[in-house]
Amino acid sequence: MTRSGILGIALLAALALFAVAGPLVGPDPAFQGDLVRGTLLHPSAAHWLGTDQLARDIFARLAGGARVSLTIGLVAVLVAAAIGSMIGLAAGSLPGLAGRMVARCIDLGLALPRVVVLLVILAGVGEVPPLVLGTVLGATGWPAVARLVRGETMRLRHALFVGAAEALGAPPGRVVWREIFPGTLPAVLVASTLGLADAILLEAGLSFIGVGVRPPAPSWGNMIFEARDYLASAPWLLIAPCVALVVATSAATLLGDALRRSLQPDIR
Amino acid sequence: MTPLLEVSELHVSFPRTGAPALVPVDDVSFTIAPGELVALVGESGCGKTLTGLALPRLLPRGAELGPRTRVRLGGTDLTHLDERELRQYRGRRIGMVFQDPMTSLNPVMRVGDQIAEAIHAHEKVSRRDARARVLDLLVEVGIADPPARIDAYPHQLSGGMRQRILIAMALAAGPDLLVADEPTTALDVTVQAQILELLDRLRRSHGMAVLLITHDLGIVAGRADRVLVMYAGRIVESAPTGQLFAHPAHPYTRGLFASIPRLDAETTRLTPIRGNVPRPDQWPDGCRFNPRCPVAIARCLTERPPLDEVAPGQRAACWVAQADAR
Repeated sequence: MTRSGILGIALLAALALFAVAGPLVGPDPAFQGDLVRGTLLHPSAAHWLGTDQLARDIFARLAGGARVSLTIGLVAVLVAAAIGSMIGLAAGSLPGLAGRMVARCIDLGLALPRVVVLLVILAGVGEVPPLVLGTVLGATGWPAVARLVRGETMRLRHALFVGAAEALGAPPGRVVWREIFPGTLPAVLVASTLGLADAILLEAGLSFIGVGVRPPAPSWGNMIFEARDYLASAPWLLIAPCVALVVATSAATLLGDALRRSLQPDIR
Repeated sequence: MTPLLEVSELHVSFPRTGAPALVPVDDVSFTIAPGELVALVGESGCGKTLTGLALPRLLPRGAELGPRTRVRLGGTDLTHLDERELRQYRGRRIGMVFQDPMTSLNPVMRVGDQIAEAIHAHEKVSRRDARARVLDLLVEVGIADPPARIDAYPHQLSGGMRQRILIAMALAAGPDLLVADEPTTALDVTVQAQILELLDRLRRSHGMAVLLITHDLGIVAGRADRVLVMYAGRIVESAPTGQLFAHPAHPYTRGLFASIPRLDAETTRLTPIRGNVPRPDQWPDGCRFNPRCPVAIARCLTERPPLDEVAPGQRAACWVAQADAR
């Protein structure tokens, strides 16, 4: 593991700790300040990152947002990895027409613009809890994983050890599941780690335009949206969630790249 | 004794569009008796590997068997079975050991699990029973300290040990015939001898026949009961090992012996066979060895010599050798 990979892990761990323990060490997240004198306060000992236009503590909301972002991101990549792996394995291993049909379905999924599909779905169903939002994000993110797994499956199908297993009479299903599937996991792990950054960013974007996590629930995306109006008078409102977003996506990307470098040479 | 394996008119071709089909294995016939160790010897590209793969019908994509090809194993013709039926023969009746013990093992699976897979492919056994059998197999193939090795990954083992693992996989379902394709080529010379000794011992203890495919006549000497010499897609000579080494009949076989370094010979220069093995699309008419043959006669250029007896138990596809024998 490279140093940048360790940095990525450390940053993600710090964010996770922040999401879980932030409300415990910081001010009370349910704190509702004085709406006359408590709004848009500068960062201070009482409010480490200041307060917003509704006199809520930013540190507490940032921790709440971290919890939402990380949960949604993790659910999204798990769902995408599960669906994508199964479909990719099928596309790469089913013989003849069936395999080609599944591959075309992956192409179709890749061709649909993800944001537009998400907008249609989320605008249609209205407000959803974070777990459902993560599942919906994952359900639109599988084609990228599927394409990758299909490629790995097709490469591994021609590996000698797969031929050796077939030569000893292993049935096709067993060959795919026991010999090929484990070999695709490193690629899935790398893609999922990099996909985590995508999912977090996508969630923030959707929340920013109002179809993701909706106020009053905190999300880095809707915090950025609300901070827009106070850019000149209270910039800390904008800076805090933006920094959190940059840290989270950079950490996932650093870790993903490091994983790719350390895992990819091993799978021949 | 009825043969275990009876291959007749084995013909492997690769049809091409706009050109005549390539026929890297052309009319190969041989038999193997139960428990017999037969060596199939030839240079690279002579079709020996394809011959081995054709037995359980593991041919590469695009390859076709000829219409008259028959591969009978214990009386069943494998050429007419469908994939599902063939799987009952692969591993269960015909075990395969491949050349490269690194790439033939799954790098992300523990070796014990890979051997167990070969058992699970054919039998309903519990994990516990399979593991016990894997340990037995590891002992049998001479792995030191099996309880420690069973959970190792392939990269943690030496080349010789990996080859033993592959042999254990091939043995797992108790085949009657083991096809070993260049099982020692990737190994050190000392390890080569150990692996050959292992194969020899296993076939004696299991009564298992072995088809040993190799380019190396030297490793055949002490082990094989019979040797098949292959050249340009055909078998050119078939003889008991002792007879072949004492009196090679085909000029190609004699050429092979002349090109092996010997410690006991007077001469110090080797005599290579002149020319190169022709490519499958450039095989000459008549006897395919004729352009390189030191004793070729006119008939060799036009007429294909059949594989006929030249001495008791010894057959050679050579007009000259057959004329001398008469």
